[in-house]
Amino acid sequence: MSKKFSPIPVTVISGFLGAGKTTLLNRILNGDHGRKIAVMVNDFGEINIDSQLIVSAEQSMVNLSNGCICCTVESDLIEQLHKLISLRERPEYILIETSGVSDPSKVVNTLCYPQFRQQLTVDAVVAIIDADNFSSLDGDRRKLAMDQLSVADIVVINKTDLATTRQVESFRQQWLYPYARVFETQFADIPVELLLGTELFETNHSPSKSGHQCNANCDHNHNQQFATYSWESDQPLSLSKLRHALKQLPENLYRAKGFVYLAESPKHRCKVHLVGSRVEIEKEERWQQMPKNQLVMIGWNNLDAAHLNQALENCYS
Amino acid sequence: MNSTKITNYLSSHTGQGPGKADLILTNARIYTVDPGRPWAEAVAIKDGRFIAVGGRAEMDALRDEHTREVDLQGRFAMPGLYDMHTHPDLSLAPGYADYLDVGLESPTPDDIAKAILDYAESHPGDGWIYGSYFVHFTFRQAEIEPGCEWLDTVMPDRPVAILDRSWGSMMVNSKALALANITADTPDPGNGFIQRDSITGEATGILIDGAYAMIHAAMPPTPQHALKRAYREGVQYQSSRGVVATKYVHVCEHRLEALKSIDDAGEMTLRVEAAISWQDDIFPVKRRWELLSGERNYYRSARLNANAVKFHFDGVHETRSSYLSSPWPGEEKWRGGLNLTPEHITDMVVDLDRRGIRVISHCTGDGASDLFLDAVAEARRVNGGGVRHQCAHSTLLLEENLARFKELNVTAEFSPAVWYPSDFAYARTQAGEEKMKTLYNFKGVLDAGGVAVMGTDWPVSNINPWIGFETMVTRKNPWGDYSEPFYGEPISLEQAIKVMTINGAWSMGIEHKAGSIEVGKSADLIVLDRNLFELEPQGNLHNTRVDITVMEGEIVWDRLDQFEQAELEAVWKSDQVPTFYERMED
Repeated sequence: MSKKFSPIPVTVISGFLGAGKTTLLNRILNGDHGRKIAVMVNDFGEINIDSQLIVSAEQSMVNLSNGCICCTVESDLIEQLHKLISLRERPEYILIETSGVSDPSKVVNTLCYPQFRQQLTVDAVVAIIDADNFSSLDGDRRKLAMDQLSVADIVVINKTDLATTRQVESFRQQWLYPYARVFETQFADIPVELLLGTELFETNHSPSKSGHQCNANCDHNHNQQFATYSWESDQPLSLSKLRHALKQLPENLYRAKGFVYLAESPKHRCKVHLVGSRVEIEKEERWQQMPKNQLVMIGWNNLDAAHLNQALENCYS
Repeated sequence: MNSTKITNYLSSHTGQGPGKADLILTNARIYTVDPGRPWAEAVAIKDGRFIAVGGRAEMDALRDEHTREVDLQGRFAMPGLYDMHTHPDLSLAPGYADYLDVGLESPTPDDIAKAILDYAESHPGDGWIYGSYFVHFTFRQAEIEPGCEWLDTVMPDRPVAILDRSWGSMMVNSKALALANITADTPDPGNGFIQRDSITGEATGILIDGAYAMIHAAMPPTPQHALKRAYREGVQYQSSRGVVATKYVHVCEHRLEALKSIDDAGEMTLRVEAAISWQDDIFPVKRRWELLSGERNYYRSARLNANAVKFHFDGVHETRSSYLSSPWPGEEKWRGGLNLTPEHITDMVVDLDRRGIRVISHCTGDGASDLFLDAVAEARRVNGGGVRHQCAHSTLLLEENLARFKELNVTAEFSPAVWYPSDFAYARTQAGEEKMKTLYNFKGVLDAGGVAVMGTDWPVSNINPWIGFETMVTRKNPWGDYSEPFYGEPISLEQAIKVMTINGAWSMGIEHKAGSIEVGKSADLIVLDRNLFELEPQGNLHNTRVDITVMEGEIVWDRLDQFEQAELEAVWKSDQVPTFYERMED
């Protein structure tokens, strides 16, 4: 297996039929975002691709002029993943839609198999929930809903016109668990940045395009856009305190990325990857320079910089 | 239950019963599978063998005052069936093992903790607590990370392993990890992984997919009572469906012990060839080499032998791990996987062949069977003629290999019995349209003069052999769920009957004394509620009812309770036979 590529980030999108997955995927496939995204769907039936975008199509794979690829998982996810990995022009990103009948935790487990470790990395697992229908689930659908939520990093509540505030509230009470990261929207209007982590953290990323850099003096309201918060420090952190703090971040903070200096691993740089409620802290190579903590966090609308600063400073070992 | 263990062994000069025929069955339409005499009206049986097969008049000289006679009222009879690959133990025993069952639809961590403690109290000692299930969702709701840290707070001193509801992961405590020798240094298996702390590398106590096997290997074997019950029910069911011989493919010393206890109790109402597992991937076989060197003979009787070994050579079609002769569709190089090197299997086939042990090799891909046939060819070159080895599953076979089954005396065993359209069968049809045309190629092997047999491979497909029997002839869905025929070519009814009877006997090396209704052969015969030659097979053969099963002259199954008189009373009664599926027969 080749190691020369960095692993392709994969986002898994789960949700029942009608929850809004297809609307979202159609938007990504037809969108002008300049990303080579491979979208894996259960079947092409639901997908509606602008025919003018289609460059070439074969039985299970369609190439689009915006760089996207759409393919069906058919019966074998492992095979399709191998196919995508071995393309001469590898996709920059993979989105996998899990059907309303399949268990997304199995898909996530497959992505973590040893054979894919150098090739793929799970970026985010997003469950799209139709609050309108969720309370009436029973039997196997109820079990599947639990699977979808238990593996989700971000829960998107996609309100239809029909869902009342009370329904949304009752969904939250019955189904949500502590520290769930929730994004409420309508018409599956989910910012691509929420799904694809790479966008927001790029070095040439311009805040004016889709976000605003918050700092401790920044107490104004920024609605309907992403806000970022950066933190730096050279004091070592305690791993358990950091894990605890990252778990308890506010509901509207969806992503964090960076490196930390841990007391438990002082010689090695540790990478932080936070998506919604999932926190991964991994040991990497030895520090090349003076160890320090460097984190960037991204939230929707407003981030309380003072609060975040305090939360992170509490992690000093 | 009527314990009728035969202790009057027959030898050259002793054991023969007095008088003439013990049992005469008359007024039947008997299809004998003897090409010299395909049809008969009556048979006479003595000392477990046919002493006459023919017209009613021919029976007259064989009757005396001790002879029982049964008028079959014109019903159809034929030799008993041979299911040459199946697993009642794997299907049933886990359910009978008295493992922990939390018993709630969505148990909370508290519910699970309580269930573990209750189980520990009712099962005192330091043994394993193994069972199902937990639900990741309820742990998230309770803000608990599932894994050994939590499980240790519930039960620190006994090993605990709990499966999750969707069967994707297993939660174990530190004691279980220690007994299974799982540490930060343990490599992941190829088909799953050990979840680890990303900083320390230590196992968290969550094992994914294939990683369960490490726990199973550390656990004590499935309890004897569960194995015994599983096999006993399998035997009961098979006898009730007319099966007189079977192969239980995958056994260990514990399974052989369970089979022997059924045999000793006189309840082994069919012949069993048991194949010792060569690999430990399903369950560990601790006494493998002792068994192979001769300990297997300890279990031997007229009904039971363990003179076979099962190899898991390649993978399965569903995960594209079957080893094909060319890359899988859409792949440049991937041909599937082999679990053993070709050299390993060749040396083993040569060695086991010399020891008189049959090799039954799992080969689902046409590349795997090609290598297996090469291995048998080498055994023939080195040892000369030897044991009839068995190519198991044979899902795909190369055209070039069809004639080699005859040349090399190898049985082509087709299983599971899914050569008809179903969701299950279509999930296994990914090897490309060209290859699919010859899926389960009974016809190709038979036309080339080879021997084909069938196996239900329960629980992979239904243990009722009549479903595979019908669909061999039709390649259509017996219930009409799909209108189109399945891939591959059907065979004739006469060919299918041979596949189900004499061919099975050949694959067990007993075709000279069983498998057809001929004078001198073992009196194995089944009486059906319908004549297979007078019906449209589609939709009408799979639900055949077996009224009577006669095994070595003994009535082992009597569906209609016709033989209540003590001496002919059947071993199994209709109210004793379990039903395992909704759609077992109708």
